[in-house]
Amino acid sequence: MKPYMTMIRDPRFRLLHNEERPLGAGPNPKRVRLNREGFTILPGIKKKSLVSPGTRLAVHPSPEKGDLHAPIYGTITEINARSIFVDAVDPAAMEPGAFPEVPAPVDLLKEGKESDELAAAVKAMGVNTRSLGRRTKTLFVNALNPEPGVCWAEPMLTQHAEVIQTGLELLRRLKRAEEIILAVPKGSAARFPGMEMAYVEPMYPNSVNELLIREVTGEEAPPNVAAVGLHNVWSLGRAGVTGLPLTETVITMGTAAHWANLIVKNGSLVGELLDFAKISLKRGDTLLRGGPLRGESLDRLDRSITKGAYGFFVVNAGEVPPIEGDSPCINCGACIQACPMRIDPRMLSRYAEFGKYNMSRPENYRLCVDCGLCGYVCIARRPVLQYIRLAIKKLEEEERLAKLTPIEPVNKPQS
Amino acid sequence: MTTPNDTLLAISTPPFWHCGRTVQKNSLHTLLALAPAALLALLQWGIPAMRVMALAVLACLATEALCQTLMKRKLSQSDGTAAVTGLVLAFLLPASAPWQLVLLASVCALGIGRMAFGGYGSNQVNAALVGWALVFVSFPTFMDASSSLLQTSLPDPLFQIKYFGSAAAENFSLLDLLLGKHLGGLGATQSGALLLGGLYLAARGVIRWEIPFSFLLGVVLASTALHLADSALYAGPGVHLAGGSTVLAAFFLATEDSCCPHRRIPMLLYGLLGGALTVLFRAFGMYSDGAPFAVMLINLLAPQFTLVRTPPFGSRHGKKARSWRKKAAPGALKEGGQV
Repeated sequence: MKPYMTMIRDPRFRLLHNEERPLGAGPNPKRVRLNREGFTILPGIKKKSLVSPGTRLAVHPSPEKGDLHAPIYGTITEINARSIFVDAVDPAAMEPGAFPEVPAPVDLLKEGKESDELAAAVKAMGVNTRSLGRRTKTLFVNALNPEPGVCWAEPMLTQHAEVIQTGLELLRRLKRAEEIILAVPKGSAARFPGMEMAYVEPMYPNSVNELLIREVTGEEAPPNVAAVGLHNVWSLGRAGVTGLPLTETVITMGTAAHWANLIVKNGSLVGELLDFAKISLKRGDTLLRGGPLRGESLDRLDRSITKGAYGFFVVNAGEVPPIEGDSPCINCGACIQACPMRIDPRMLSRYAEFGKYNMSRPENYRLCVDCGLCGYVCIARRPVLQYIRLAIKKLEEEERLAKLTPIEPVNKPQS
Repeated sequence: MTTPNDTLLAISTPPFWHCGRTVQKNSLHTLLALAPAALLALLQWGIPAMRVMALAVLACLATEALCQTLMKRKLSQSDGTAAVTGLVLAFLLPASAPWQLVLLASVCALGIGRMAFGGYGSNQVNAALVGWALVFVSFPTFMDASSSLLQTSLPDPLFQIKYFGSAAAENFSLLDLLLGKHLGGLGATQSGALLLGGLYLAARGVIRWEIPFSFLLGVVLASTALHLADSALYAGPGVHLAGGSTVLAAFFLATEDSCCPHRRIPMLLYGLLGGALTVLFRAFGMYSDGAPFAVMLINLLAPQFTLVRTPPFGSRHGKKARSWRKKAAPGALKEGGQV
């Protein structure tokens, strides 16, 4: 009787797809758009500079954010406050020596660096280390597909076992946890020698880190336990195996009918990806970067797949009931029942709707794990998750401002 | 590019997938679940029943439209919620109800019961019951099925057990009661058909099973307790379950989303109290059928039930942090095999 008597009966929520096709290579981009927000452009990198794959373009002041590298041979055509554009140039058409040299591979495993030293080396390779966990006792590697619709986890575990193995080894050397446990879907045939494994029911929202930890430990929010996504471990392992700066990301790209897993260059334009997959859009379709429950919608075809993005989907017009204006909450309580954190999205969304952010405080709004189930079940088609995000953002902003000390006048009037 | 760059894309917020449920679809499912009872009512009462149902539905739709026009809101008759309220209200009225009565009940249901509170989903008490209660208390003679439907020979089981004691219950077979061969509201008496429809709704997840289940359980527990206390005076659970409007109340009235709690334990308590109150009203109240009043009362108590709060995620820690490894399910952790 499990599938009956419940609101969520979506077979797509099962995160096991028996996907056996290998991770395909994405298109060779004609143009890439790299996100540079927060990055400092390196000296010598300017408009019309020629770049090679792996040429370092910019660094981030945060020690946990990977450096930015060019993914292709090309010319920088534009640098603005948000993006760096690189247009592809065929290296064979140019005279030798025109392009900067491709960096020599670095064998992170052989170098034997550990801990913070390794973290710095990994940052230089373009990998974000922030998402590789904080210091804790137990670290789970979340090897479930992060969201419904995304299906690269299985091929990654089986066909890219070497990359994952390398990633796990590097993760161990980062020394952020005393023990690392690989959490895989129940029934998975993936084997990694010397690795402790945990088995989790592959049903969304179990792939959300907090819930994955509960599934394995049987305890809600136990202390000294954290989780990292398989996608991040793959990125780490990719840099370790190739020895080159990370300029790719694995995405599941798809529509309701077709999907495929691709390794695409960082900064690939979504328009080029759509052409590559022979998908044509119609008026009213939605393009989304990330997963179907937690991603973001894109307004233009020249947006790009950024580092760390794990999905790119097209939701055709008419596939889901449209959101019509500002529909009021009808108190049906579906979100309350769906919420895995047992908070009250109904009231939270209403508080945010009317700007009463402070009223969210007693409702444990911070527990929200952004799983998107509240909006998924909302029969009034309210943007419940977005309202909660808004409240969190506003309250964080308020708290940040409250911590600042007000500026005293420099020249105090003498009294 | 195969897609021109000026194609207008829809921007929205996550989640981009949806369960597909909408207010309109839920209303259609509810109407579908009410259909068997409506058909049986037509077979039993003929054109008069059709007249009451049609008038109630149309009057509810018109009242809602009128109120929304006056409130300068978008018309929402297409979502079907007013039609559901109208049909449920008609089910509570006798087939002989004069048109003025039906009209008054419908206008009050939608006008006072719903729109005065701000529209669908804002009312604290089931809208159909507000309309019903108003005419039931104001015009008891028209609402009394046994006095207004003189041409039938059908019995009123709740009336009989109230005034002739438990022995009267033996005059009714459970099958007859389920098939609607007794007096009461024109559709509310179709217990069997309503039960089927209600189970359909619960299976589809349109209503939550906890409420009808605990409501019926409350009826069984309370009537059994009374029956055990004095078996001559109080009838057993059978006639209480199938007679009167118990099934309609359990599946279609108590489950109105905006008037009930939404978490499991509060829902169970809410239903239990409703069921128990139904029997108590029937045994000790002044009216023979207490189910609608019981529902109105638990509707009003719903905010109190909501105070039974479920602790949020992570707040159920033991006093000392125990090692989760001892608690983890056996077999959940394994050493990876050799490749």
